Amino acid sequence: MSEKLTSKQLSRKITDEYMEDAFHAHDNGKLVGYTTAISPVEIFVAHDIVPIYPENHAVANLTAKKGVELCSAVESMGYTSHLCAYARSDLGYRKTGVTVTKGIPDPDLFLACNAQCFTLTKWFQVLARKGDLPVFVFDTPEHIMNKEARKEIVKYCVLQLKELIGFLEVQTKRKFDYDRLKEVMKYSAASSILYKKFLDMAQYKPSPISIFDELIGMAIAVYRRGTQECVDYYQTLCDEIQAKVDQGIGVLPKDQEKYRLYWENLPVWFKFSDHAKLLGSYGGVILTSLYVHAWSFDFDLNKDPLETLAENYVNRFSNSTIEDRADMAMELFNKYSMNSMIMFMNRSCKAVSFAVPTLKDILTKRTGIPALVFESDMGDQRFYAESQVRTRIEAYFETLDRLGLAQKTAVA
Amino acid sequence: MWESLNLKDVVTLARDPYPSIRQWTRDTGKKVVGSTIADVPQEVIHAYDLLPVTLLGTHKPLKKAASHLPDNACSLARSNLELALSYEGDLFSGFVLPQVCDTTQHLSDIWRISFPEKYVESYLAPRQADRPSAHYWVKEEIERLISSLGKWTGKTLSNDALAASIAIYNENRKILGELYEIKRNNPGTITNLEFFAMMKLSMQVDKAEFNKSLKAIKDGLKLEKSKSLTDIVLVGITCDPPEVFDIFDELKLNIVGDTLVDGTRYLRGAVSLDGNLVDALADRHFNLGFFSPIHDNVYKNFEEVKKLYYDMKASAIIYVHIEFCESQEYDLPDLKNAIKKEGIPMHVLDTEYQTVSLSHILTRAQAFFESLKGGAL
Ligand code: SF4
Ligand code: SF4
Repeated sequence: MSEKLTSKQLSRKITDEYMEDAFHAHDNGKLVGYTTAISPVEIFVAHDIVPIYPENHAVANLTAKKGVELCSAVESMGYTSHLCAYARSDLGYRKTGVTVTKGIPDPDLFLACNAQCFTLTKWFQVLARKGDLPVFVFDTPEHIMNKEARKEIVKYCVLQLKELIGFLEVQTKRKFDYDRLKEVMKYSAASSILYKKFLDMAQYKPSPISIFDELIGMAIAVYRRGTQECVDYYQTLCDEIQAKVDQGIGVLPKDQEKYRLYWENLPVWFKFSDHAKLLGSYGGVILTSLYVHAWSFDFDLNKDPLETLAENYVNRFSNSTIEDRADMAMELFNKYSMNSMIMFMNRSCKAVSFAVPTLKDILTKRTGIPALVFESDMGDQRFYAESQVRTRIEAYFETLDRLGLAQKTAVA
Repeated sequence: MWESLNLKDVVTLARDPYPSIRQWTRDTGKKVVGSTIADVPQEVIHAYDLLPVTLLGTHKPLKKAASHLPDNACSLARSNLELALSYEGDLFSGFVLPQVCDTTQHLSDIWRISFPEKYVESYLAPRQADRPSAHYWVKEEIERLISSLGKWTGKTLSNDALAASIAIYNENRKILGELYEIKRNNPGTITNLEFFAMMKLSMQVDKAEFNKSLKAIKDGLKLEKSKSLTDIVLVGITCDPPEVFDIFDELKLNIVGDTLVDGTRYLRGAVSLDGNLVDALADRHFNLGFFSPIHDNVYKNFEEVKKLYYDMKASAIIYVHIEFCESQEYDLPDLKNAIKKEGIPMHVLDTEYQTVSLSHILTRAQAFFESLKGGAL
């Protein structure tokens, strides 16, 4: 039946069912595990633990411009204004109950994987202390460039995944089923391939998708990895985008697509659609970022599941060296024929942003393309200076025009 | 160079040890390897006949670091980067940089890219300490460091050399521990500034030499018992600039216990010389006390602080907050509440390298201790 649904309808259905399951987890004898968006959630899925991502809930509230209200509430509890806005808005939600969704169920346990950032570990620890709940820290040392060290890092991570399984067995009083994990891995591998295919459709000219489509399209990969419906969703999505490609439909018409942009960092959530419109008015489409690629895994089903999980989670862009991040971004530049870049210094996300100045130096040198750097916050409007951002964007496109960097196919 | 220093020399040198380190390297021909805090097993570096120097920031102006790390990066990281980029970089042949938090993870990358001609190795500390895998990992990292330094220096590390270095470090910790004991029981004998200058310099100069100074200083102390001092416990990661200790002295405070990484957490790091030395170095990592980026439960920190407070019969706790240190900032509100609930007076001191306002610190601390005396806390 689900074949008839559009990707949008399917996404809604999957999300509704997932939240329904989450809110009734205890009725169904399941535990709710809070986890980080980049974490080996396949283990949760295989063990029937409902994964909840407080980050997603934070995104919903920040996109709906609830940032200032929620962040202020938590600052009055003694937390400083420069912690990650996800964490602040989540702690604010715990205090005030304010949310634009139905909220999220309370946790029974936590899995904090620091391949994404260490902030989440600290944030989860704060939440765990309130209910005296257990936190499992999946510690992923930086994926440094030394090959021998990488092997050791993977070994360390495999050891920890075994400890995680032991931890979950104690919490649930149930034996872990490795065969089930293998099944879950199959779904994760399949959906990852499709998710990557979806992102890679930005290669086409004109691009049928922009980062704004990708940010919406990535949600299911984030919270439903390891399920059949996740595979179905990406199949539907790829088919839909392919149809656009076949008809030559782009975000901008082909003759107007002047600038194919790279975006570094998370988006400014509360400016999401404004930015799309603003850039579009200059003939700009943001095609991709390392951020959206964080969920395109490359699981090797011939390997031991724990090993391929460990390998994939430690080598995410956010856990890679700046040199490797630059290589990853360069690969995207070449593949998607990008000719411009916006480097966002996001005050909230130190884990991504502290690499940005160095990354910008490397990328501008390697591509010969100037970059637009701007500082703001992904969720806290108090750090966003509207007119300044507009002026910078305008000036940036003028520079690009002057340098003659517009795509040849576009009408100048 | 550092074997016959008196307390006054130590205080002066601790403010800026680098000219003397330069002279020492010229005299001895030895190379210098810098590490930021915390937890690098520096005994290993020392055993390769290198001088390990703990980098604790600079008070000279920020010039270059700001273009690499934004202003919401912890000031310690920025200050250390500045020290290397603008002031003392040429002194170091290499760096071993520990990664404990998001900031230090990026810092090592930026550092490596900034010094392509130097030896720069990361020491990947575990960010969990309660499970067997953490033990496995620490040992693995120590072994990796040994082999990395071996490749760089072209030398093979002998067990005897490592044992000798461990013994020198252990001795340093032992003497400092004894000096702390004297300071505790005989307030007024050593000032806070003097004691923490000895701690700091111990982490930056050659210990084989400096231990001789420390011994002589210890033996020459005239014990005094000043009754007018208020005993306090210092909590945090590190406490800087040294003028803060001047302020403590001015306010007639006596630090009788602490949890600082460059304080008691350093002193606790004695390594057993029996059995396998790498195992012993790894074991040490787990006996160091609470450190916010590594430990998962701030209540452990609270228990530790509480015990110190009662054992030392202190009058108050001073928590040193490093501006923009997220690890501390996620812990602090709960730690504060727990301490408050216990009825222990606590003062939070905000420090920021380069821009700290000492008069502000003094005024706030003064107000706190006046209320403490007046019984208003
Ligand atoms: S935005 Fe950055 S700091 Fe915040 S939770 Fe995500 S990765 Fe961590
Ligand atoms: S733990 Fe805190 S003080 Fe230390 S480097 Fe990280 S942010 Fe800075």
